[in-house]
Amino acid sequence: MIFNEICEIIYNKEIAKNIFEAKLSSDKISKSTKSGQFINILPSINFENAMRRPMSISYQDSESINIIYKSIGDGTRIMKKWRKGEKIDIIGPLGNHWEINPNKELVLLGGGVGIAPILNLYNEIEDKAKTKLFIGARDKDEHFLKHDETNNIYLSTDDGSYGIKGNLFDALKKIFSIKDLQDKVMYVCGPPIMMEVVSKFALDNNIECYLALETIMACGIGICQGCTLETNNNFKVKDYSYRSKYKLVCMDGPIFNAKDVKTCLL
Amino acid sequence: MLALKIKDIVFKNPIMVASGTFGYGNEASDLVDLSKFGGIITKSVTRYSREGNPPPRICEVASGMLNSIGLANLGVEDYVQKKIPFLNKIDSNVVINIAGTKIEDYIETLEILEGASGNHVAYEINISCPNINEGGLEFGVSSKLTKSLTKELRSRTDKILIMKLSPNVTSISEIGQAAQEGGADAVSAINTLVGMAIDINSKKPKLSTNMGGLSGPCIKPVALANIFNLYKSLDIPIIGIGGISNDKDVIEFLLAGASLVQLGTINYKYPNLVDSIPQAIKDYFKLNSISDINEIIGALKSDD
Repeated sequence: MIFNEICEIIYNKEIAKNIFEAKLSSDKISKSTKSGQFINILPSINFENAMRRPMSISYQDSESINIIYKSIGDGTRIMKKWRKGEKIDIIGPLGNHWEINPNKELVLLGGGVGIAPILNLYNEIEDKAKTKLFIGARDKDEHFLKHDETNNIYLSTDDGSYGIKGNLFDALKKIFSIKDLQDKVMYVCGPPIMMEVVSKFALDNNIECYLALETIMACGIGICQGCTLETNNNFKVKDYSYRSKYKLVCMDGPIFNAKDVKTCLL
Repeated sequence: MLALKIKDIVFKNPIMVASGTFGYGNEASDLVDLSKFGGIITKSVTRYSREGNPPPRICEVASGMLNSIGLANLGVEDYVQKKIPFLNKIDSNVVINIAGTKIEDYIETLEILEGASGNHVAYEINISCPNINEGGLEFGVSSKLTKSLTKELRSRTDKILIMKLSPNVTSISEIGQAAQEGGADAVSAINTLVGMAIDINSKKPKLSTNMGGLSGPCIKPVALANIFNLYKSLDIPIIGIGGISNDKDVIEFLLAGASLVQLGTINYKYPNLVDSIPQAIKDYFKLNSISDINEIIGALKSDD
């Protein structure tokens, strides 16, 4: 079931350099959200752009949902000015969700603003001892978590100003050998280039890998057919026989098995 | 007050959804009560399934968007099997939009639909899609082809036959007249305008097909001008499309000569706009002492 809700902003704050977290009251969407799903937001009542803005959910409880976003475009520039009590129109929960493999150790990789669905997955995992969380950013100011190797939380920065120096992929390779990773499952969300590199690495080395993808999207519910992803093995989506080569990120995703994705550079 | 007849079919209000902006109806049914629409027009169906164009297929532009979906659809046989059972349950007039690249495609698709046990009341014929290479728009820019296609389809159905017109022509009225002469019961206009957007960083077009169809509020003035011209030259009803985003826009289209209207791009932002528009139109009617929708259709006060 998909809902259209008018939510109230509970808080909206800058948690790292130009990265914001907002908590929205939600009666229905919050209760039926699974990690990996997203909402489609109308940044303001009189938003003039043609499209809502899809945002991954980073946390949900029975009466609210959180999102994490970077202020970069028309929509997020409005969003960062949201004030407590403001009413926001959202549609959700949308898309598929992460499937946790209970028999394997999990390696989570979140880069840039791609951390929202990764954090949500991390929160959902009960046995965190068997999970390793990697979060990458350009520099120290973009991080809002603590590098904490004893609890398997690894932060990296491109400039080495905090945690492991290098990008997420560098950090991953520093902690794990390829052999270490082959009995684990990777869950990845981040900038397209990072996803492309990690996805190719996983495929080349027979590592099970899931990607949360993002692309330009209008409706979020499969009516516009705009948010396509090219897949490489022509698997067919049940009931939508025409969507074999091109899948919809909004309905068939946003979570895809890396082996089905032709390119993450959407 | 808002009800209107085309042929013998009653449309409970003038609000429909434009083909391609509402899927097959079922997708948005969690978000909107489909029975509130005067009509639901489903995504273009073709003789055989189509994957559509490569990504990127959409981009935002000032006050609108460009799309190049390329008629991705499941093909008429799957449509009959998988979509008609749901559509039959909707308490609204279902209109099936048909697209094709050659005359036989349209005919075969229509014949299969005629043979199916659908409750649909009408066909809207897409002769104006700008996003396929193999033709399609060819019909929409030629009066001769429009007339002969309309005739062929007319002879095969008693349901309402609507020809959907392109604005990408020298004279939309000529094409409209050809549809009327061919036996169409109505025309709908406008389909999207050919447009383009470029990413200056990558120096690439924003759509994989370079150009696409422009829609949204930015095309409303163009649409109104086309409706106005069609109304002056046709006797059959006109269904207005193009950037309609609220009740005031609907009334503008009615005044220009549209009998019914279609909501398109706005569905992506507000899939449930039909919850409020019919009442807002009734309020306008009351304020202006209009008791029947037919009084306002084409009631523009113009010197021309």
